[in-house]
Amino acid sequence: MSSGTDVQAAAAHQVRRRDPVPLGAGVAVAVAGALVLIVMNGSYLGLTVTTGIGYAIVTVGMVLQLGYSRQLAFSQSVFMGLGAYGTGVLETKYGFGSLESLLAVIGLALVASLLIGAVVTRAPGLALALATLLMPLFIFQLATYSNWLGSFAGINGVLPLLTGGDYTATLVRSGIACAVLLGIATAVVFRVIRSGVGLQLMAMAADERLAESLGVSLRQRRLEVFVLGSVLAAVGGAAIGSVQGIVTPDVLSETAEITLLLMVFVAGRRSIAGAILGAVVIEYLTTSTSFISTNIGTVEGIALLVILIAEPDGVAGAVDRLLGRRTVQWAGSLRAWSAARLPARGLSGHEATERERGAPDLETRDLEARGGGDGGGS
Amino acid sequence: MSQFLNLLVAGLTSGAIYGIFGACLAVWFRVCNVLNLAVGDFAMFGAIGTAWLVQNAGLPFIAGIAVDLAGVGLAAWLFDWVVLHPAFDRGRGARGIVGVFFYTFGLSLVLEGAARAWFGTDAWGAPVIWSGPALSVLDFHVQRAGILVFALAIVSGLALWAYLRFTVSGRAASACGESTLGARIVGIDTAKFRRRIFIATAVLAALFGIVESPLSGYTYASGPVISLIGTVAAGFASFRRPGRAVAIGLAIGVAESLLGGYVSTSYNDVLLYALLFGIIIFRPEVLGLGAEPA
Repeated sequence: MSSGTDVQAAAAHQVRRRDPVPLGAGVAVAVAGALVLIVMNGSYLGLTVTTGIGYAIVTVGMVLQLGYSRQLAFSQSVFMGLGAYGTGVLETKYGFGSLESLLAVIGLALVASLLIGAVVTRAPGLALALATLLMPLFIFQLATYSNWLGSFAGINGVLPLLTGGDYTATLVRSGIACAVLLGIATAVVFRVIRSGVGLQLMAMAADERLAESLGVSLRQRRLEVFVLGSVLAAVGGAAIGSVQGIVTPDVLSETAEITLLLMVFVAGRRSIAGAILGAVVIEYLTTSTSFISTNIGTVEGIALLVILIAEPDGVAGAVDRLLGRRTVQWAGSLRAWSAARLPARGLSGHEATERERGAPDLETRDLEARGGGDGGGS
Repeated sequence: MSQFLNLLVAGLTSGAIYGIFGACLAVWFRVCNVLNLAVGDFAMFGAIGTAWLVQNAGLPFIAGIAVDLAGVGLAAWLFDWVVLHPAFDRGRGARGIVGVFFYTFGLSLVLEGAARAWFGTDAWGAPVIWSGPALSVLDFHVQRAGILVFALAIVSGLALWAYLRFTVSGRAASACGESTLGARIVGIDTAKFRRRIFIATAVLAALFGIVESPLSGYTYASGPVISLIGTVAAGFASFRRPGRAVAIGLAIGVAESLLGGYVSTSYNDVLLYALLFGIIIFRPEVLGLGAEPA
């Protein structure tokens, strides 16, 4: 019995190891992003899309944290700021290269999120939300008053992730580097969601007591999700700082947190594709159209309310549902088409008509349930 | 000593604002388990709307207040009818922890955007209700508007506490938050309580904005920070005890003022938020919060 279970576990493990979806999704995202940026060839739209890709690295982590695990933490903008300011400080004050600073920022975010997360994730539901709501407030003010961090003006002269011969080539190459980072983030989050840990997170999101009774270590899983979300936020922040060449306190303000939340909620908090597209589209709308950028608060607020009422899973949920319906319709059409061809293979007209109507293959009639005694049954 | 007293009075004035918004949040959360993150925006509309009606539309001050409060009440009713009613009474839309935060967060964004489009980015202050120089005793000075704000906070906090504690209607309102289904079974109209208390707290917040705005001035973006501090005050009162929320708000205001006076005028808010953050993280039990709504 035990060896059978071991074999099953090993087989399941192998299946999980060979799951091609995370890697495939990551590669697809990276390639698609790179192609789009190559086509845009360093235009202003290309800069906007690259910045959107930077935000998308953050929102992909938020899908795991907010959407999938229901960990209501509002600290992403703080870690985004950590990534952006970390890159800026290391490059402008200590002479780090862009890749070195990126790796250093990842390490810094890992340590910081472990330390903060070990304390923060002790707080239950609403307390965690309340505590992390305060974080952007005092970190933002700290950055604005700190001369070392450049005060309100921030830090100028942040290096691009990759450099080219001229501005256009640099922008395209940096954009491709951002797309690769987004691909890696997508693959990592997909991998987590589709693993046993993902199932545990799903159980926690549904009912923490139930998950605990199933042997899930709530504190450990909460901490892991917090750390992963925070590290991805820092990577996103570093990417945004590198693309824009300047880091200001705005990157870690509560306004930035609100924008991130809208990118995730409007597009679909449980969809990685939705989070990526949401980040790019909202970044485009906020920077490229004067009407929307002027009235962005109203537009975002109305969009959020409509989404919450009409489709809580966001635009991605609506698209999924629509595609699901279409798939059912297509399947129905296919069945009808194949049923219409069946008489030619020997089925009678009556049988074919029954199949077209979707009649069941097996039908039970005149069964009675009889109760009483130990062996009651039919 | 006089510096301490002046700082204390300044702190009590700002704390009264945090406290009353915390109380508004707490009383509505008690009824429907939803945080009103737009409470600061209602205050902003109260202040700026009245100032605009008096200065630009030429209405008399009292008429301006009446029109503004009616407008805020109407906006709150409209929001309940269009958004909260389908979400909570017809079972449509997002529920659980998302519903706790994001419906009123959306409303806050809409109100902020509308205020920016309508009133611009200037700072506004409603006319002073109790005009005259600051009251002084030796070196101890207090603004008349500050006295009004403090008194209104105490009266409102006590009234909300007494309503929930001593009236049948208040107990019915509390029952709605304890169990919506149970309350409906015993014949309580949960939707009516949610709507009435939402409108009442919105109007109360707007009234506070009108009374307080001569002291600090309001811009279209003033709402979220007020709402956030109110949320923290309500959080320290388990999101359910308006009387305690007023007391906590006063304590936060005094701490902010003393930090500014004795430690650093630049970093007083940073220190205050860090202090509150530390308390929530290291002693979450002081909040008295249970598990989040499912």
